[in-house]
Amino acid sequence: MAMSFHFHPLAASRVHFSPLPFAAAAGAPSPSSSVAIAAHHQHGRRRFSAIVATAAAASAATTEFDFKAYMGERAVAVNRALDAAVPAGEPPAALHDAMRYALLAGGKRVRPALCLAACAVVGGPEPWAMPAAAAVEMVHTMSLVHDDLPCMDDDDLRRGKPTCHVVYGEPIAVLAGDALLSLSFHHMASVGSYPPDVDPEKHPARVVRAIGELARCIGSEGLVAGQVVDLEMTGTSETVPLERLEYIHLHKTAALLEASVVIGAIIGGGTDEQIERLRKYARSIGLLFQVVDDILDVTKSSEELGKTAGKDLASDKTTYPKLLGLEKSREFAEELLSDAVEQLACFDKEKAAPLLHLANYIAHRQN
Amino acid sequence: MNKLASCFLQHGAPHTQIFKSYHVQRSPSLQLLENRSVSMTRHRAADRAARGTIVDVAVDSGTSFDFESYLSAKARAVHDALDLTLQGLRCPEVLSESMRYSVLAGGKRLRPVLAIAACELVGGTAAAAVPVACAVEMIHTASLIHDDMPCMDDDALRRGRPSNHVAFGEPTALLAGDALLALAFEHVARGSAGAGVPADRALRAVVELGSVAGVGGIAAGQVADMASEGAPSGSVSLGALEYIHVHKTARLVEAAAVSGAVVGGGGDGEVERVRRYAHFLGLLGQVVDDVLDVTGTSEQLGKTAGKDVAAGKATYPRLMGLKGARAYMGELLAKAEAELDGLDAARTAPLRHLARFMAHRQH
Repeated sequence: MAMSFHFHPLAASRVHFSPLPFAAAAGAPSPSSSVAIAAHHQHGRRRFSAIVATAAAASAATTEFDFKAYMGERAVAVNRALDAAVPAGEPPAALHDAMRYALLAGGKRVRPALCLAACAVVGGPEPWAMPAAAAVEMVHTMSLVHDDLPCMDDDDLRRGKPTCHVVYGEPIAVLAGDALLSLSFHHMASVGSYPPDVDPEKHPARVVRAIGELARCIGSEGLVAGQVVDLEMTGTSETVPLERLEYIHLHKTAALLEASVVIGAIIGGGTDEQIERLRKYARSIGLLFQVVDDILDVTKSSEELGKTAGKDLASDKTTYPKLLGLEKSREFAEELLSDAVEQLACFDKEKAAPLLHLANYIAHRQN
Repeated sequence: MNKLASCFLQHGAPHTQIFKSYHVQRSPSLQLLENRSVSMTRHRAADRAARGTIVDVAVDSGTSFDFESYLSAKARAVHDALDLTLQGLRCPEVLSESMRYSVLAGGKRLRPVLAIAACELVGGTAAAAVPVACAVEMIHTASLIHDDMPCMDDDALRRGRPSNHVAFGEPTALLAGDALLALAFEHVARGSAGAGVPADRALRAVVELGSVAGVGGIAAGQVADMASEGAPSGSVSLGALEYIHVHKTARLVEAAAVSGAVVGGGGDGEVERVRRYAHFLGLLGQVVDDVLDVTGTSEQLGKTAGKDVAAGKATYPRLMGLKGARAYMGELLAKAEAELDGLDAARTAPLRHLARFMAHRQH
């Protein structure tokens, strides 16, 4: 995820920027990180008291749910699926190595988790959605690989590691991105990707529909559109109006989150009504993700966020706090969280717990 | 550089020149003229083989099938379908312009036409094949856009016009390629459903196209191609050359035909014959491409003749000799046509003519 960065006037004293050790974020946190995370959480709770109150009320019925364990288990399962989908040692080696390097570089696997959780909430077995979960992570990875290229964001580091084009060269990075995108559809469409207990009558049409959704959310009406508009403002000092900022975020971030949830629900056998509710949930948390990103940018140092200074995209220069003010941005975040939670009201509480906690996680995360 | 694509998509010569030449070869009543034409450019043994196969064509399909009309009608239908699909997108204007710039740049649309012909061969309708036909063209276009970029082939011109990245900038070209790849799969999924194609067939088509666009085809071929460019002159083996051409070019030809046969409802046996036909056809196209680079004029090719030789690239004439390459052309043509033996003559006619057209084209 390309996190935005903005020099806040009150942050003039910042002089050092160094990335956090993302291994701690990606894997099991070390004891010191746990302490740090706990401390931040305490700090965060005071700032987001209104949101916490709402979330606390909504999740009262599911206090026994272990979100951390849930995410850990899903990440392991997804990593296993991704590892199997792009076998090591196959020709051409350079291409497969680059794909694996980018794909298996860690990460929280939030999009796959959303996909699996959406499948479960409509009553489908999670294994039915695993190919789709892997596919959305391939797409996400592809967008990062291409985003990092010199002609785009020109990033040399991603999660503290050299980016794909730095390690393998630009040509291989372009091709690895193309190959990951193609593989996402190949993987979802392959009969052998799915467990034998899928409904043989209904499954093919569901997969076709899911592929249509995923492709639409990625392409010229989705993720790519957001990237194009974001780049269009490169080099200008013009402030982006709120409507356009929202467009960028809805397309660049929310579209793939939306696809993750929607295709999970489709493959899980959800009704059209359920799918549309989950689509609204996904759009809310997608936008929430960006609003919180911008808030963290103002309230956290660059070191804590593990990012690079000097970004030049439209969405980096224009932020919600800049357009709305910090307080209104927090209120907006609260509204979005509330909207997302509301969409889950009609689902079984126990089945909806993962999605509820994912929304809370996005709202309250510290990096 | 995707040489097969270059030749497929040339506008270098007027259509009448292409089809006139082909008509001469096709019509028995002009046998004498055809003989003279052949004898000017081919070895005597090749003359005999060529005359024999032309007679075969006359016997098999008669003179009633009008390949020229077939090709132009299908190409027009594909162009219109692509235009309509791209018009329907709600997206940033610069992205739409960039995609349309490359997709609607013209060309013979041989791969899409192959998809339709394969669909009809197995009893399907052209309408059922149009979504995969368009998808093949989008995938092909996306690969050309990325291939032309500075970090890859770094070509500033494509078919005599500025390349996409020159016209729109590298970032937009990169994203237009990504968007076209995504749109290809969206179109197969939604378009096939709209055309009444059963979901399981649409999924098999997605599997074919997903493989060819990535590690099973174009991307793998491009990686191997880049690796071979750095190799010392003469060290690229025939096996390696074939790998590059199979993956970079022939696999997409194959996927076009197979996808068409699959959505048309072809049985497994039919689909495999179509696959083999297309495999040989794809390779044939590449060998012809290499031969023309040696024997053709810049005017005919629509690009600088001899460029590949000058660049020290491995080519079939270089590895096999010109005579050997021509013999290989004949072999591939015969193998492709053999896959059509025993099938309905009327339904195989477009594919027979397509193979013949491929073998005898001048650019």
